[in-house]
Amino acid sequence: MLEVKDLNAGYGFLQVLRDISLDVGEGEFVALIGPNGAGKSTTLKTIAGLLEPASGEILFEERSIGGTPAHEINRMGISFISEALNLFPDMSVRENLLLGAYTVRDPQQEQAALEFVLGLFPRLREREDQLAGTLSGGERKMLAVARGMMSNPQLLLVDEPSLGLAPQLVLTVFKALEELRQQGVTILLVEQNVNTTLKITDRAYILENGEIALQGKSADLLQNEHVRQAYLGVA
Amino acid sequence: MEESMNGSSFWQSWGTNIRENLIASLVIGLSLVGAVVVTVGGSPSQLVNSIVTGGMWALLAVGLAIVFGVMNIPHFAHGESFMIGAYVAYFVFNPLHSYLQDHPNGFLEAVAPFAAIFAAPLVGFVLGAMMERLIFHPLRKRTREQWVMNTFLLTVGLGFILINGTNLVLGPNFRGIPRYWDVEPAQFLGVRISVDRLVALAIALITIAAFWFFLRRTRTGRAIRAVSQDETGALLVGIDLDFIHTLTFALATAMAALAGGSLLFLFQAYPTVGLVPLYFSWFVVILVGLGNVAGAVVGGFIVALVQTMTQQFFGISWGDVVPVIILVVILLLAPSGIFGTEIKGVLEQ
Repeated sequence: MLEVKDLNAGYGFLQVLRDISLDVGEGEFVALIGPNGAGKSTTLKTIAGLLEPASGEILFEERSIGGTPAHEINRMGISFISEALNLFPDMSVRENLLLGAYTVRDPQQEQAALEFVLGLFPRLREREDQLAGTLSGGERKMLAVARGMMSNPQLLLVDEPSLGLAPQLVLTVFKALEELRQQGVTILLVEQNVNTTLKITDRAYILENGEIALQGKSADLLQNEHVRQAYLGVA
Repeated sequence: MEESMNGSSFWQSWGTNIRENLIASLVIGLSLVGAVVVTVGGSPSQLVNSIVTGGMWALLAVGLAIVFGVMNIPHFAHGESFMIGAYVAYFVFNPLHSYLQDHPNGFLEAVAPFAAIFAAPLVGFVLGAMMERLIFHPLRKRTREQWVMNTFLLTVGLGFILINGTNLVLGPNFRGIPRYWDVEPAQFLGVRISVDRLVALAIALITIAAFWFFLRRTRTGRAIRAVSQDETGALLVGIDLDFIHTLTFALATAMAALAGGSLLFLFQAYPTVGLVPLYFSWFVVILVGLGNVAGAVVGGFIVALVQTMTQQFFGISWGDVVPVIILVVILLLAPSGIFGTEIKGVLEQ
């Protein structure tokens, strides 16, 4: 479904990604893990259209989408849930969700999406009229994921959903992602929480210094010597 | 992040900050007292005049607020949109009027002014869209460094060019009309109000209400507010920023032109007619806080009242001095405006 070939990208003169190649198949749950500053967020931002690739190719359903503006990428069926969440703080939860369905022109489809995400996160239903800026950290994450789902994306890019969350809430967010995956949504997840991530995903790429260092089935990577030493703290 | 510039924050911020609430209540209370003083001490018609002018300042200030909130542009050519509106209304109304003098027709005489008044925002909308596409859009694509300062200078320069360009093409002559509707003034609680004023007030109120509804309840209006609150978030949900920017600027220009068109009987069309409306609408947005759309409506009426009171109690010549003194006091004591909105925009997020 998504294919990234020899992608180079960065900010101005600063090159962050070096010849990254990865692919995500339909219905797969794939993780991109690695230390701080390895280029995980940069990879997602480039796929989402917030950054322009310096070279290389990004294919989505066999179409080249590298360098397409972010708002058009969303229309193609890719939804990016950024680390900063980028919610609209002075709008209610409901309005944030409706904006998530901005590209959905059909009111019936919009309503169905709203029911679906509110069913997924009952907490948001309780807070429907509250301003997004007044939500707790966990609720904001849920709202961001829910807003990202409102456009019925085929591919969900999620950047560090566990960042800054209490362990209990991390579980809630991961559970929600698993449920989405069971609904048939393809997910590319960026995470630092390596242990949990490798337990719930199918495959994973390990990004170090802007290059793919390792890749394989998540279950195998959990046993990998390098991964165990560098990320899981097992000697 | 908690408080910011879109309309809802005005009601939200109510109750969050006691100091600002105090200032806001004080100002609104004083204005109400002022309204009574003007009515009793002067004449009720002066109160009516301030309400009409207040509606117009509000119409202009809403445009300034939305342009700053969504695009981070401190718009100093806004008065020239007013000027363009006045000219358009004049050049549409004048030929219609002379035709109707030769061919009297009661119905057309009632309708012709509306054609003139509404031609103004139409032309304003198109010109606004062109200005955004030709000036601000290319700059945004090139660099966003020093954006606020650059666009401030750009708008000042644009205003300068529009004023002098008009002077060059049309000359410095005053082009005005005594009234749109040649009918008896309406009587209201013993006060005589000209139909022109009543219509101008109705147009201002209806337009502001419609714009409010548009921002709160429609998909596109919601997208405009979204851009003002989080530009990246807006991109990520599929909002085309270029479209929203052009639309916002065009709407603001249209509203200012509408004000110019509907006040033609009060402000004749001439090259620098927009300067006074520009200053007063900036007075309004500084009073209520930059980018505060709801506050701009309230502020419009407060500022008009301040003007009327100044003229009544200190004389016409003090008309510009007192507002400036008040501005200085506001900037010293409550620099983010009486409603305490945080001054921030897309670039500071």
